Order: sequence, then C-alpha cells, then structure tokens
Amino acid sequence: MRLNILIGGKAGQGINKISGIVSQTIAAHGYFTFNYRDYPSIIRGGHNFNILSLSDKQISSHESKIDIIVALDEFTKKRHALELKKGGMMIDYKKFMHLGLNLNLALSGELTKLLGIEKKTLLKEISRNLKGKNYLNGALEAAGEGYESQKEKFHLRKLNNKLSIMSGSEAVAFGAINSNIDLYFAYPMTPSTNALHELAKRQLEHNFMTFQPEGEIAAINMAIGASFSGARVMVGTSGGGFDLMSEGLSLQGISEVPLTVYLASRVGPGTGIPTYNMQGDLDIALRSGHGEFPRVVISPGDPLETIEKVNEAMYLSEKFKCLSILLSDKHVAESEFSSNVKANKSLPVKVLRKVPGEGIVKASSYDMDDSGVTTEDAHFAKKNAEARIEKYKDIKSYCKKFEMIKIHGKTNSKNLIIGWGSTKGAIVDAINGLDYKFLQVLYMKPLSDQIKKEMLKAKKVILIESNLTGQLGRLIREKTGIKIERRILKYNGRPFRSDELRKELKRI
Amino acid sequence: MKEPRTRGVELRTNKKITWCPGCPDHIILESSRRAILSLIKRGFKKEDFAMTCGVGCHGKIFDYLDISGVYGLHGRAIPTAIGVKLGNPNLHVISFAGDGDTYSEGMAHFVHACRFNPDITLVVNDNQSFSLTTGQATPTSQLGFKTKAEPLGEFNFPINPIHLSLSAGASFVARCNANDIAHTQAVIEKAILHKGFSYVEIIQDCIVFNLEINDRDNRMYKLQGDNRNLKKALELSQEYDYNLGNGKIPLGIFYQRHRKTLHEEWPILKKMKKQKKGWKHYKK
Repeated sequence: MRLNILIGGKAGQGINKISGIVSQTIAAHGYFTFNYRDYPSIIRGGHNFNILSLSDKQISSHESKIDIIVALDEFTKKRHALELKKGGMMIDYKKFMHLGLNLNLALSGELTKLLGIEKKTLLKEISRNLKGKNYLNGALEAAGEGYESQKEKFHLRKLNNKLSIMSGSEAVAFGAINSNIDLYFAYPMTPSTNALHELAKRQLEHNFMTFQPEGEIAAINMAIGASFSGARVMVGTSGGGFDLMSEGLSLQGISEVPLTVYLASRVGPGTGIPTYNMQGDLDIALRSGHGEFPRVVISPGDPLETIEKVNEAMYLSEKFKCLSILLSDKHVAESEFSSNVKANKSLPVKVLRKVPGEGIVKASSYDMDDSGVTTEDAHFAKKNAEARIEKYKDIKSYCKKFEMIKIHGKTNSKNLIIGWGSTKGAIVDAINGLDYKFLQVLYMKPLSDQIKKEMLKAKKVILIESNLTGQLGRLIREKTGIKIERRILKYNGRPFRSDELRKELKRI
Repeated sequence: MKEPRTRGVELRTNKKITWCPGCPDHIILESSRRAILSLIKRGFKKEDFAMTCGVGCHGKIFDYLDISGVYGLHGRAIPTAIGVKLGNPNLHVISFAGDGDTYSEGMAHFVHACRFNPDITLVVNDNQSFSLTTGQATPTSQLGFKTKAEPLGEFNFPINPIHLSLSAGASFVARCNANDIAHTQAVIEKAILHKGFSYVEIIQDCIVFNLEINDRDNRMYKLQGDNRNLKKALELSQEYDYNLGNGKIPLGIFYQRHRKTLHEEWPILKKMKKQKKGWKHYKK
C-alpha cells in the first residue's frame, strides 16, 4: 500500500511547514513517510511543492503518479493535473480563501480527514510545532474547520510502528553532536545551510559553538586554526563554497591538522540551479586541493547513515590527522525520511594530540623537517611525501572495519545495480520484489575491494547516478579497470522517482 | 605537527635566518621576541603563546620564534588566528602578516577582524612591496611605483590601512617604525595586553625592491598618549598617505578603546576562559 500526496503553492504559503506537520501526523498514525521538497530560489511567490509519500512499509522515495493534490493556488492545479492518478483527489484552496495565512492548516485538516486519521493526532502535531506562537489558536481552529468539511476516503487503520522523522541536515547535526563536536564553521549556501541552522539551535544545550565568518575561505582557515588548538571541528558548504575552500584542504594535507568537511552538492556548474539536486561533486570531493595528500570521502544515502558516517568521518580525521569529506546532496539534506530504527552507537572522537598550552607545537603550510621548521631539502621532500602515502595505506586498511559498501535487494541476483548517496532510496524502493541486487557505495575513498568481486560475479551491471557523466563509474573504472556500459543517469536537477526508475530498469 | 628544538638565545629556534642581510625583518623579529619575553617575565606562560603567519618574507618569523603556531596560507593569517583563539580562548594569539598578505589577498579578513573584535594581535610588516615574489606593487605601494608587473607605474592610490582599520571598528590601532626596537617592543606588548583586536602596522624598508619609498625615519614622529577619540584618530591617520612626499608620519597608538570581544559574546567561551581550559580539556 502506498499513497503519494502533492502539496503545492507559492513560496511563503507554508507548503513545507504543512507537509512537515502532516508527515508527523501520518507517522504518529504508524505509517512510514518520505517527504520530497521541490522549490525554486525564490523567497515569496513562484511555485513550491512537496511530494509526501506514505506506506505501511519502509519507503525512502517519492513517485511520479499522485493520489491526492493539495493545491494552495490555481497554478498548482494546472501544473500538476496530469500527474493525478485516475480517481485521484484534488483538495482545492478556494473553499478556505477567507482563512488567509491559515489556509495551509485548513487544507491539512481536510487531508487528514481524507486519509482517515483522527483529528486529535493532527491537532497534537500542530500544537507541538507551533508551541508558544500567538497564532496557534487560529491555526488549530483552521485545521478543525478543514477537517470537518471533508469526508473520509482512504480509511488508514492505525498501525503500531514507532517512527521518527528526520532530514539529512538534522542528521548532520546529530552525527556531529554524537561525535562531541566543539566548533562548526559555515557560510550560508544551499543546500548545506540547514545543517548550520540545525547545529546553531542546539549549540547551547550541547556545549558547542557554530560560527558564520565572512566567507568559506575564512571558515576553513578558522577551522584549521581551531583544530590546531585542540577543538573537534567541522566546516559545512556546497559546491561553489567548497571550491573556495580547496586551498584550505591542501593546507590540511601538509599540516596534518584534523579536519572534517560536510559537502552538500547541488546543480552546477557555476551558480547552476541552486535549490535542486545533482551528484555532480564527487570528482571535486576526491581530488580538490593541489598536491598529493590522503583523504577520506564518505557518502551516506539517508539520514540514519548520515548520523553514522559523520561520526566515522570525524573519528577518522582525528585518529589519522587527515581530511574527511562527508559528501551529501540536496535530496538527502532536505528530504524528510521516516524510520523505526536508531543509528548505531557512536565512536568516541578524542583529541589525544599535544596542543598549544601544553608545550610548543607547530603546524605549517610548508614542508617541515624533523625539528618542525621549514625545509626545502630533497631528503625531507621525499620522506614527507612518502609518509603521506603510508598514512593513506593505514587509513585504507583501518576503514575495512566500517560499512564501506552495503548490499540491498536480492542478494543472489546476477543483475547488479551500483549507485551511491541520494539515489539509494529510489533504487531500494524500485527493485523491491524484482530480481536485482543493489550495491550501495558509501566509501568513495578508500574504495572497497569488494566492489570488483561483486562486479565479476554479476551477469549484468547497471550504474545509476544523478549526474551527466557517471562519476562513480569513472572512479570504479580507475580502480578496477572495468567500464560499466549500462548506465541510467539523470541530470535535470530532479532526483529519481522509484516508479520511473523501475521503468528505466525494464528498458535497459 | 612537530616539536621544534632550540638552543642559544631565549625564544629563538636554531633555524638559520634566510632574510637578506640588513633587512628590517631581523629587527621586527627582535622587537617581537623582546615583547613576548617581557610578558613572560611578567607571568605569561611561554606555552600559552601561539602565532599564525601568512606567506611572504614576514612569515619566516615562524621558523625563528620558539612559540607554538600555524604557518598558514598567503592572506589567511587572520582567520587562522581567530580559529586558534576560538579553539582555546586562553591562548595569546599573535598573527604576523605582510602588506600583500593582509591588504591584498586577505583584505576581507582584515576588515572583518576589525568588526568581530577577536582578542588577538595582528602585526603587519608593511614594506609596500611584494618582495618575496620579486617586487610587484601591493595595495600600499606609492603612486608611480614601476615594477616588472606594473611597467607603466602603479596608478592606483595606496590604501591607508590605519584609516581603514579605524573606520572598520578596530579597537586598538598603532603604527611603528621597524628600525625602532624599543618603541616597537613597547607597542606590541601593549597590543597583546589589549582585550580585543589589536592591530600594529610596522613601516619597514625593503632593501632590494621599492627603494624609492625608503629612508623615511626623519619624517616620523611619536604620538603622545593613546587616549583620543575616533575623530581625532581618523584625522591623525590621514597625515601620511603612503605616497612619496615630505609630510610627517605619526607613530604610536592612534586609538584604543575597550569593547566586548568576540569571546565575551559567547557564553561557552566565557566559561572556558574562566576555567582556563581549551576545548581539549573542557568537560561538557
């Protein structure tokens, strides 16, 4: 059983707020949800919509065919009419025009009634979300008015699942807090900004600090300075900001000051399409920064994995005094996923190295000799370069204890799909019940040796990525010598929908 | 990160100095060394000092001073220093930078540091030339300065960093003459003791590039006291515009006012400062 609900209107009408509240209501009723946000780079006006999918089983994707459209404006009705399934429902804004800004809440009432969920469940979620706001009573009344005006249609009986809803951005915050983060530096840039907000609002409670400096270059250099004096640090950014940081990444490489970078990618090149999704930055995560130095690149596919992988990234960067990059994207960062599982226990991130205040410590952007001063000596040039390669070998061997890849679907299938990051949800949902095995790559650097073995076992290998050139495919070819010929690539800024992907798989 | 060895002179490493013989950078090193040493004699702990450097001739001081620090990237000495201070608010952080470093590549950081008011000290060696890269014009180079990169002569009016820092909200602004060890030492000491962002601009000659701007000592005079309002400080800052000429060049502390530092704005940093702990030892 699965329903897809599209909630659309103008930016500023509270589309996201209401789909959040309805998701929580549905989850409280025991159903799994997945909430996809589609919005342009506009503060007021334009056209925003969310697709809220619900099911009695775990889902992590949205679909292209819609069961219910909740239209907060005329444009939504026109734009999405063709996506509505036969017999689908349209909840129209016209009935509640008189409610002004509470329109969205009235429509949420209608939707809740339509689904067959009790009114009190919705009102409880509204009260929780708008606690302390002077418009709470008006909001509750509007929701009630909407609820009473509609008839029940879908009769969702209550289920006993204990679910929590989380976005990838919240997960970054939880992962960092679990790792005892001390300082988070970021300059606003979609889609990494929400992680800054999620961390900022928790800083006093959890005894850490977030700081927004004058730009990304300042952010990364401050982070290196703070890490040098003993703080557990992370910086957050998106493609263009990451480009600005690349000299700082290189500084990390030579100075060996622990550093974790959260990179949430969007559509490039340039300013690109700022609020849409693309897995276009794997190449820069792997290679950005001049010179040759070790790094770790990890890409989680959902919030739960984000919590765990942020922790592993911070753990590895402190343990090996290396650069860790946590590569996510708009689809994972801003979609809301429900789950009935909790993240694994965190590894303790401990600063054991000597820091200023405890003695004389020096870190440098120049090559250094054994006494800690600048050298241009050929002997040290060679020795230091080799030490960096040795360190990478140690990292590679240590990472084997983590989940570097995951296998989903039919484990004995000869049809192997390879993908990473935000495509996970759509792939897992698309192959449900089909003869496919899905190999999800979580560690891009180091890359698991298991990937080649799996590819050699398979009859048919299919690469799925949300980019133009198949960047993971290129990495796999570099490391294994195998070119993946069958590819499903999507690069229009919109993430895969599971029903669409299912069709593509039949075609290929 | 490595631990340096030292021998001989206090606060000096055993690294051979590679500045040109006769370069005023040697004198700035000595003034800085004496300032830190004097503070250590007054109870500051050597281990609690940390420096950050940019890249340029000035940055070599990193290898010669035996205190902790980060030899950062060109233009980034200031954000690195702010980071070091945020990582442990109990450290005395001094950022050594050059004029190309601070006023060209790192200008945004300079202006924002004046705004943020972190409790760090910035010492800028200003020789009005990119010397380590063989003598191109910096933002403080005089009009008409001919270089290999500017063969028609510099046609941009130099910026006045003293005036700029005052307008941007710096809470301690001073200028020194590199050749005057005692005065520079005294000003650097006061700058470190100042609670907030303290900025010390040091005018120095480069003995290889931009020779026409050199030998200004006879035009310099010392300001008396430091208790003057912003209006007066701004007025004094305009006595010297960094071009060739015969006018007077004021030295000393132009302006000093206490206002809340970056660290005093954050409850957790205040706690860490009170407990004398950095993040490494702070119990959450």
